[in-house]
Amino acid sequence: MSMNSENRNEENNYVACPQYEAALEDQLQGALRGPEAVKLAGHLATCAGCRGALEDAAVSARLLAIAEPAPDPGAGFSRIVMARIRQELQTNEGKSIWSPFVAVAWRFAATAAFALVLLVSFDLGRHSQWVADQPIVAENRVPEIAPERPSLPASRDDVILMMADTSHGKQ
Amino acid sequence: MAATASALSLAVSRREKGEEERQLVQRAQSGEEAAFEELIRRHQQRVFGLVSGILRRREDVEDVVQQVFLKVFVSLKRFDQRAAFSTWLYKISVNECWDYLRKKKVRPLVYEADLSEEQVSRLDGVVSADQPASSSDRAEARDLLERMMEKLPEQDRELLVLKEVEGFSVQELAEILNLNVNTVKVRLFRARARLMDVYRRRLHSKPEQQVEGKEG
Repeated sequence: MSMNSENRNEENNYVACPQYEAALEDQLQGALRGPEAVKLAGHLATCAGCRGALEDAAVSARLLAIAEPAPDPGAGFSRIVMARIRQELQTNEGKSIWSPFVAVAWRFAATAAFALVLLVSFDLGRHSQWVADQPIVAENRVPEIAPERPSLPASRDDVILMMADTSHGKQ
Repeated sequence: MAATASALSLAVSRREKGEEERQLVQRAQSGEEAAFEELIRRHQQRVFGLVSGILRRREDVEDVVQQVFLKVFVSLKRFDQRAAFSTWLYKISVNECWDYLRKKKVRPLVYEADLSEEQVSRLDGVVSADQPASSSDRAEARDLLERMMEKLPEQDRELLVLKEVEGFSVQELAEILNLNVNTVKVRLFRARARLMDVYRRRLHSKPEQQVEGKEG
């Protein structure tokens, strides 16, 4: 930013020294006291840029004084807000703070169930393949040589007969 | 001596007010709706000022302010009272405004037409007059000022309105906007300079506008 001897910029506005800007704002607000005020006063006596910028800032404050603050929303506003809060709370009653997590959990469960179905169907496919291969295996298998299982006695007489038979055999 | 006494009584009154508000917040936190309604009543004016200082469209302000208080109500139990309730409330308000602007993708309003010579001299008269201007002159001057403010960067406009129009202190602005106090002062001072630049441009552009008007 080029400046001429009076500390003005290209647009011919006064430019304050950067190290004094905060103090100038305080001065404008009437908040500068003590040694800082003395220091600024000494600087202003020698710096046309800061003097001009402070005068401009004072005009801007007068300009802004024209503006009006936002209107008071009125006594009924708090009641309107409370009514809206109650309405929102009723709407959200069903929705707990966990609802996003519940939704994610449901998605996870659905994915897991789908994966399980896929796994089971794959396993069933393999099993049916195994069952289909089974007779061939059975045909090729060498028959086991194993003693026939004795049939269980049907009645008490059979038991006695069997015992007699066994003891007879031993003898 | 009298000044010291008055400053002391002001400090005591502030502390009492702060304690009263702390209790009000505690009651609201425990679910007392009447206490929360009282908090709204106490702060609605300043929240309105803050929100309308940031949002330019007046019709959106009430809706956003309602949304602010709704958010405050929902998150009040998490507020630990380490900071002042007002600071916490204003921070929520500022965030809500920025969210709103982001969602709506609001573009700065651009006034195509510049100010006429008559308008500028009227504005100049209102600014420099020692005597109060008429209400119609002031109303027009307000409109012109609003147009000039629209020419400023968003940040400058916000700071000037909140400080000079809505009456927020530099300290409050620093807390609300998460800025250093000195940074706020410097930004304010520069924003004033930019406003004056816009003001002067209009003053200097008067003859050109007239010539253009005649030629057209």
